[in-house]
Amino acid sequence: MNAHPEAGPASRREEVRLPELPSVSRLLVHAATTAARERLSGTSRPAALPAVRHTVDSVRVELERLTRFQHLVGGTVRDSLPSAFLHTVTFPVAMSVLTRADFPLPLPGLVQLANHVRQYRAVHFAEPLTLSAWVENLRGHYAGTRLDVRTEVLADGEAVWQGTSEYLAKGVFRPGLDTGARPAREDFTPPAPTARWRLGVDAGREYAMVSGDFNPIHLSTVSARLLGMKRSIAHGMYLASRVLAGIEAVAGDEHEWNIRFAAPVYLPAALALRIEDESRNEHWVASSFTAWGEHSRRLHFSGSVRTL
Amino acid sequence: MTATPESPTPKSAPQPAPAAETRPVRSAVVIGGNRIPFARAHGAYAGASNQDMLTAALDGLVARFGLQDERIGEVAAGAVLKHSRDFNLTREAVLGSALSPETPVYDLQQACATGLETVIGLANKIKLGQIDSAIAGGVDSTSDAPIAVSEGLRSVLLELGRARSPKQKLAALARLRPKDLAPEAPSTAEPRTGLSMGEHQALTTAAWKITREAQDELALASHANLAAAYGRGFFDDLITPYRGLVKDGNLRPDTSLEKLAKLQPVFGKTLGEEATMTAGNSTPLTDGASAVLLGSEDFARRNDLPMLARVVDAEAAAVDFVHGKEGLLMAPAYAVPRLLERNGLRLSDFDFVEIHEAFAGTVLCHLAAWESEEFCRNKLGLDSPLGSVDRARLNVTGSSLAAGHPFAATGGRIVATVAKLLHEQAAAEGRRGRGLVSVCAAGGQGVAAILEAC
Amino acid sequence: MAAAQDSYLKLLSNPLARELAGRLKLPRPAVLRRYRPGDPLLPGPVLVLGAGDSAGTLASALLDWGLDVRRHATPGERIGGIVAVLDDVAEPGDLAAPALALGACLRQLAPGGRIVTVSRPAAASAGAAAAPAAAAARQGVDGLLRSVARELRAGATGNGILLDDGVDATAPGVLGALRFLLSGRSAYVDGQFLLVGPGTGTVPADPDRPVAGRAAVVTGAARGIGAAIAEVLRRDGALVTVVDVPAAGEQLAAVANRIGATALQLDITRPEAGARILEHAAGRHGRLDIVVHNAGITRDKLLANMDADRWNAVLEVNLAAQLRMNEAFLASDLLGPAPRIVCLASTSGIAGNRGQTNYAASKAGVIGMVRASAPVLAGRGGAINAVAPGFIETDMTARMPPAAREAARRLLPSLQQGGLPVDVAEAVAFLASDAADGINGQTLRVCGQSLVGA
Repeated sequence: MNAHPEAGPASRREEVRLPELPSVSRLLVHAATTAARERLSGTSRPAALPAVRHTVDSVRVELERLTRFQHLVGGTVRDSLPSAFLHTVTFPVAMSVLTRADFPLPLPGLVQLANHVRQYRAVHFAEPLTLSAWVENLRGHYAGTRLDVRTEVLADGEAVWQGTSEYLAKGVFRPGLDTGARPAREDFTPPAPTARWRLGVDAGREYAMVSGDFNPIHLSTVSARLLGMKRSIAHGMYLASRVLAGIEAVAGDEHEWNIRFAAPVYLPAALALRIEDESRNEHWVASSFTAWGEHSRRLHFSGSVRTL
Repeated sequence: MTATPESPTPKSAPQPAPAAETRPVRSAVVIGGNRIPFARAHGAYAGASNQDMLTAALDGLVARFGLQDERIGEVAAGAVLKHSRDFNLTREAVLGSALSPETPVYDLQQACATGLETVIGLANKIKLGQIDSAIAGGVDSTSDAPIAVSEGLRSVLLELGRARSPKQKLAALARLRPKDLAPEAPSTAEPRTGLSMGEHQALTTAAWKITREAQDELALASHANLAAAYGRGFFDDLITPYRGLVKDGNLRPDTSLEKLAKLQPVFGKTLGEEATMTAGNSTPLTDGASAVLLGSEDFARRNDLPMLARVVDAEAAAVDFVHGKEGLLMAPAYAVPRLLERNGLRLSDFDFVEIHEAFAGTVLCHLAAWESEEFCRNKLGLDSPLGSVDRARLNVTGSSLAAGHPFAATGGRIVATVAKLLHEQAAAEGRRGRGLVSVCAAGGQGVAAILEAC
Repeated sequence: MAAAQDSYLKLLSNPLARELAGRLKLPRPAVLRRYRPGDPLLPGPVLVLGAGDSAGTLASALLDWGLDVRRHATPGERIGGIVAVLDDVAEPGDLAAPALALGACLRQLAPGGRIVTVSRPAAASAGAAAAPAAAAARQGVDGLLRSVARELRAGATGNGILLDDGVDATAPGVLGALRFLLSGRSAYVDGQFLLVGPGTGTVPADPDRPVAGRAAVVTGAARGIGAAIAEVLRRDGALVTVVDVPAAGEQLAAVANRIGATALQLDITRPEAGARILEHAAGRHGRLDIVVHNAGITRDKLLANMDADRWNAVLEVNLAAQLRMNEAFLASDLLGPAPRIVCLASTSGIAGNRGQTNYAASKAGVIGMVRASAPVLAGRGGAINAVAPGFIETDMTARMPPAAREAARRLLPSLQQGGLPVDVAEAVAFLASDAADGINGQTLRVCGQSLVGA
């Protein structure tokens, strides 16, 4: 994913001010009923992404949820917000875009392929935040249709955090979008691990409780099966958050990170990881990470964190 | 001390100490030690708590040196696996022992280096003239380890405690799920990596290309040396039996390379390389306790107590293992060279080298590192390799592979052992030998110390 | 001092049970008068019988102790002790008057009272034999005393002191032996003679702490008789080192900490055992003054079924080890100026015991060793003696078959009960002190006047 986000909204987007942070569960129900109605009425979705930017002002972080997040992902309870946590803060705004009636792709079955985040400074939990989200870059994929969900956090009128999530609507093909050929599977030979994670069967639900992302594929085996998964899967942002929690002590407040998911992590799971630090003049500049199934030896995700 | 029954006071009163700023640094000597035999987990000491075992080790020491009702300057000990009720573990043990209840105490914890660190800290206080006598020690039980309730139950219980109305209490209880009732046993996994100590060592062992055979040979030597030391009565004045156990429960005097070679690897099986670490060349989970009596030379003379060895100097080191920059248990490889440098000594200047055998691979990696030009240049900044350790001087009465390793008790075992070895050598050969002690610890730490015969 | 329970004796402390036992003509053993620091020497005045000069001088000596001394019995008065001075009997006819005088006041003897005869041996240890008539009279005292002792009831005992050539009735050693026999320290010593030879003339400064400041070692001290000996020596002022095999180290430490001693874990059959004991005692106390060879084992088997292992183990521990250690002690400068060695023999070694050929051989051997070593010890101003316990209530005797144990308790000794470990310990402590001046090479039985070997 090379789409680097630019600061500030594109001028041609319509600014939509939300009165308050929307409820994710209400959005999800709404999305499900819309999808059902569409199936009944046979109405089809528009072909293009909505040119809107949803914004909520004066959002304050719930301290208790922050604490639970920090504990869950193994981070230190600090007063500044982890960059992965800010992703969960912006998530309802992003969801409000994805559940719009004019959003061209069905929400159920959207799969996260990658994330890229930049954080420009430390954000204190008490700061009032302005959160924005929009979508762009609809394009093809050999397995369906992709797009980027862009989110932004402003404090005191200044962008402090920007995120891009790359999603795939699996099996949804749109005319005019080049799907491209399926790339050859890369051979993966696990390196020497530096860590091991044991993820319990509840890892998905636990993360849903602190992130507010109640996607059924993470909640339980039963709910995941309803959506065609064989078992519940770990939340991608949970995996990213845990890696980042292990690096936050060295990474400092100004950094960017990216993660790319190669295969879902079915729960429960034993993952092996290698996290490798890169220093220049004895100072940390970057860490790269790779995670694979301890027993399957199959690559699950990889990425890096880098100082800005 | 009961040196003279006529009066409970020492034969001659200690000299009044000069003011702190003019007080010269004096020597701290090891007078002797005591430990209970180390038992395999869920074996002879299954019902004994850390406090019970530490008390037994202290009582044996008191009996050996006639310290009944003696007010010791300070006692320091600790445990790695500790119950919350044991917040004052050592003090409680002292109160239950034959020592004077007026003996002050502190607890200390530095993972597997706890025991050695208590020796160093107390020796420093003696050197500075703050105390005249001390007992250093450590204890650990994996059989009586604390078991925590799950996070879910803990959070419910805490909320229940805060709840005021019945409704709030019911709400708190309603959050309880059946799975919350499952207890959580402690693990030896490093919190930041999720890898157990053995798995960490397996990575380091593989990185240093230490063979299975070399590890098994070291394990065999440990058992043979420990058995021989028992055979010659070496431990008669270092160990007091406990709960019917007379010798270390892990000792296998009849083991052989053939028997060791038959064991299946237990660590490093998912590394993709051949796994070499077995139950035979790794220390088992063990229960036990140890104690070391320290004093100033003046204290020892006044009370007609032996002086085995002086605590000369010590050094702690830590490595960045979290993202694999260095092996978890490699810190002693850094502590020892710094210690030698400060004291102007080489490895060959030591008559006895005691390297705690967390795993055979740990010891062999340290030795290999000190022999490696690359490691010594790049990691230690030395012009040439630090040198080799003469295997005939290494762990000559066995170490943790044979004796077992109740984490915090190991330092006391080693210090008492090497002090007695130095004393024996001094008596036989009439020269003051030196001993090097090195202990690796969880969290990427390591502590090393130098002892010298009195 | 824990001892196996004599539940019958305990039961008889109930008056009803005691009455019942009397009607059924069951033996009614008395609770023995045992020494407690601070108690009066005797439960009443002391009567000194005898017409000769010695009786007069002895009576004055007893006055000097602060005793209430009588030369003639006052009718109806309870008497605490009777000293019959018979050192002047020259022919059998001389026995009549003192014997009848003794008989006349026997009924006045208080419970726990004492009879002590002072006479001369029929054959002195050196020099010319006495004339036949004198020898007959002297030997007659033997039969008289042993028989009157059997007539005594209520825990009273009768013992004799034999004055060797050149020893007069008020020699320090005679007074020391007399004090021991009159006191509660000799509670289970009955029907025995102590031969007092020429001594060094030293007497303990404080009769209540006769071994004050002496460095003493007791082997086999982890329990039973050995632990009791250590405790009594400590009570009497000695600096005690308790020794036992490493396997008994836990109990040994408990004994050391209870009484205030130092513990030395040591297998006494090791060749270096003597040197280790010397090193320990000299290290802590500067020298070694008192050795109590108490360690002993039994491996009972009829001789027809005896194997070499059982035989050798018993002879090695009970006898050979003592010989080796004594050799080491006597060759060392660290042995004190007036060394005292006390060995544990057994009535089995005197009378023999079915199934104990090995044990009896070893214990008889001890008696022989003591006799033969006496001149060497005397040459260094010291002494070596043995104590031969009879039936003592210990963990060891608790394992006897119940019928045999009852018989040994009730039927055989005059005192109609087994002894306690402390009774043996008191005799040992006496022989380990200067109070036993001039007593050398002797074996003192502590058996309640058992028929065994009488």
